[in-house]
Amino acid sequence: MEPIASHENWRNCFSEVAPGLLLFARQWVQSAADAEDIVQEAFVKFWRRNHNIDNRGLLYAAVRSIALDFIRRDKRRTRREATVLAEAEPAIEPYFESEDDTQSALAAAVDSLPRDQREVLVLKIWNDLTFGEIAGTLGISQNTAASRYRYALINLRKSLQPQ
Amino acid sequence: MNDFSELENELRKLRPARPSPVLFERVGEALSNCTASVSDAKWARWRLRRPSYNWWSLGFSVAAAAIVVLFAVISLERQHESDTTVGQSSPASEMRRDARATERLPVTSRFVPTGGTNVVYNARDEGLHFAGGSERPVRRVRYNTKQTWRWRNPETGASLRVSYPSEEIVLIPVSGQ
Repeated sequence: MEPIASHENWRNCFSEVAPGLLLFARQWVQSAADAEDIVQEAFVKFWRRNHNIDNRGLLYAAVRSIALDFIRRDKRRTRREATVLAEAEPAIEPYFESEDDTQSALAAAVDSLPRDQREVLVLKIWNDLTFGEIAGTLGISQNTAASRYRYALINLRKSLQPQ
Repeated sequence: MNDFSELENELRKLRPARPSPVLFERVGEALSNCTASVSDAKWARWRLRRPSYNWWSLGFSVAAAAIVVLFAVISLERQHESDTTVGQSSPASEMRRDARATERLPVTSRFVPTGGTNVVYNARDEGLHFAGGSERPVRRVRYNTKQTWRWRNPETGASLRVSYPSEEIVLIPVSGQ
């Protein structure tokens, strides 16, 4: 087995998928730093086994699984810190690099979607996964993935319509 | 989905926040550490291929065998000092002897005797005999027994039970009346 560190193409792969992975991880954690921890762990695990990015569904499934573990682990810490942070203003880091007000409004609309719709949207739009890959990642049927995506778009359109 | 194509295009224009450069360094470092992990994995596989010994259980088996031998010796001695006692349970003298034997063991492997049984499952009267050219007849009775001894280590809570079959021949002097 060749030393994994010598596979410099991990950098190309990672720079390609990292923004989408981070966005996906942030469906579960608010903090960008926590999301980076999750993405790092998932990518390292994935790359050690696969050495290529062909089977992307596994990578996203790893992110999801690690994020859920993280939430479980973090529950106690969150409870402990909640009392301290209650008085402080929450610093929510942006999910997107918005350029204008229209994009900011769109980002806010995405943020307000139900989680099950948002995660399908994130995987489809910003990670270019097929419905088959999304279904495998989330453990749902392809039809469910497709219908959640459709509902997400309908809800987005509704929330962006002028009142 | 065509009616949503415009919205999809708008969404694609949104660029997710970039990861920090530190993340790339961290991932690179973690993957470098994998080299060591791969070596470890190779070493583990090599160890798996070797015939493996469970030293702990091997040691325990040797200790158990030693105890069995010890009690076999005690049993032989007891047969030499044989009397007519049959079907006894936890004889105090033997328990004391066992306790003395365990006192000699290291503290960590000290097992305290907790009980013993001597079950006679067969007794056969073999009739009158004149033992060793004696003029007085003796009745020879053969007993088949199963002895079980139990120890417990109060420190670790481990318990040990040894069972073995034994045969005892008792000569009972017969006096004519």
